[in-house]
Amino acid sequence: MWAIAKKELKTYFLSPIGYIFIGIFLLMCSIFFYLDVVQYGSTNFEYMFYSAATVLTFIIPILTMRMFAEERKTGTEQLLFTSPRSITSIVCGKLLGAAMIVLITEALTSIYYIILMCFGTPHITTALITLLGYFLLAMTYISFGMFASSLTENQIIAGVITIAFFIVTWFMPNFIEATLDFSFINVFSNTFPTGSVTLSSLVLLISTPILFTILTILVLQRKKSVK
Amino acid sequence: MIEVKNVTKRYGSFTAVDNISFTVKDGEVIGFLGPNGAGKSTTMNMITGFIEPSEGSVMINGNDISKKAKKAKRQIGYMPENVPLYSELTVKEFVKYMAELKRMPRKQRKEDIEKVLKETGLEEVQNKLIRNLSRGYKQRVSLAGALIGNPEVLILDEPTVGLDPKQIIEIRNLIKELGKNHTVILSTHILPEVSPICERVIIINKGKIVAIDTPEHLEERTKEENVILLTVEDKEEHMGNVKEKLSRVKEIKMIKDNEDGTKQYMITSDAEVDLRKDLFDILPKQNITIFELKKAEATLEDAFIRLINAREEIEKATENIQSEKQDKIKDKEEKKKAKEKEKEEKKKQKAENKKERGEK
Repeated sequence: MWAIAKKELKTYFLSPIGYIFIGIFLLMCSIFFYLDVVQYGSTNFEYMFYSAATVLTFIIPILTMRMFAEERKTGTEQLLFTSPRSITSIVCGKLLGAAMIVLITEALTSIYYIILMCFGTPHITTALITLLGYFLLAMTYISFGMFASSLTENQIIAGVITIAFFIVTWFMPNFIEATLDFSFINVFSNTFPTGSVTLSSLVLLISTPILFTILTILVLQRKKSVK
Repeated sequence: MIEVKNVTKRYGSFTAVDNISFTVKDGEVIGFLGPNGAGKSTTMNMITGFIEPSEGSVMINGNDISKKAKKAKRQIGYMPENVPLYSELTVKEFVKYMAELKRMPRKQRKEDIEKVLKETGLEEVQNKLIRNLSRGYKQRVSLAGALIGNPEVLILDEPTVGLDPKQIIEIRNLIKELGKNHTVILSTHILPEVSPICERVIIINKGKIVAIDTPEHLEERTKEENVILLTVEDKEEHMGNVKEKLSRVKEIKMIKDNEDGTKQYMITSDAEVDLRKDLFDILPKQNITIFELKKAEATLEDAFIRLINAREEIEKATENIQSEKQDKIKDKEEKKKAKEKEKEEKKKQKAENKKERGEK
């Protein structure tokens, strides 16, 4: 698992993908930091994450669309799946690689926290809870993106499916109010940045990545017998 | 040892590999031959555990590839068709990653990577990006990826496709060298490649095994007549008399009239007859000077094409019979023909069965 995660992380930075992801993320964060925090003259670090959460919709597919689609297209999946590694460890390795990119970007947001520290005393616990929630939200998105990537050998299709799914879950509550508790972005916004964690939000944002990871494993196992 | 038992692979109603069985002994180099689309790659993918067979099992040194996957896969080095590689890595990084994937102990890794890079002649390019390498080098990198971890079994899917003649010879020699202490399965549709490297050949067509034998036996098996190529100087035009003198000659045919006054003839006889000695005796008596006399060797190519065609003819005949059975309105004459065909086919099949028994 580690070998695969390490290689994934390396590949993100050998290609422009890693830099594009982090670059766009920081650019957007800076804009929202100015609009949502600086303009209000507040020291609430977490305010910018309401908007930053929406950015995930468009940048997570950059990370995930290549995960399995590219390997299938270039044929390197033959190397991967004939190695003495189980499908589970391959999938978890890839997920871990993407998770590390998210952690790196989150670590970089500490710049904003440090800036705020110069002007006041931001809440460290709220900030950490927000970052935790943001990480879980990103993992939910990544797991779905990975699942989409395992379905096709076309990266663009994988990316489009992923964005479509995120947008549907984002605006779903506007049509059916009952789905509010299943809209990932709303669940995140309603709890973590306020400094509170609810059991239902934790369950949703932890069980969904597990669900899609399992689905990815099943898809890949199935591909083995129909390929 | 690789044991393939009754392996079948179906895609919907299409059967890509149809109930094939064979064993490869330790240290043996086996060639897997067949035209494009015969099911070579599918079979190799099943042996390596990349795809799952619809029926049957594959054992690598006693470990089932689907049940004891980790143990079995660890003993295999696989070089897939079309050499898939991570083009963004350097050669060394790629080989290192493959070593990690194969769970090599950390201590051993460094030494082994250097050894493999040396064996495949990649030392000079080890820090180059794979993306920038030529096809020949990429092929070697793929081979290096298969070799790392010192697997007992090597499975090479068309390892020389797309190489220039010099590279082909290099890779071939490398495989020959590897065959000394590895079990190798090598697939190819280039026949000359097989004879010098492989101890046994499996010929596969339309998902079925047509023949398993040594290259020499295969060549002999398909030989129906003996052909001798003869170049002579025949000033008195006595060549016409030769046929009368030698009763066992089937045919003498001039194939080339050279500018220097010599002529080349093709002399055929039955397979068990060797005319060379007789020709040496008789020709000087007729005032004919022999410039060159040689036996035309049956090539593996002949064997291959003959075996595959024979199988296809049988299949066509069977198909005809089946369609006629369904169609009752067809006149009796055709039925008779079909019966004749059936008889012929049975004869052929019997002959084949005998041959197969002979092999066993």
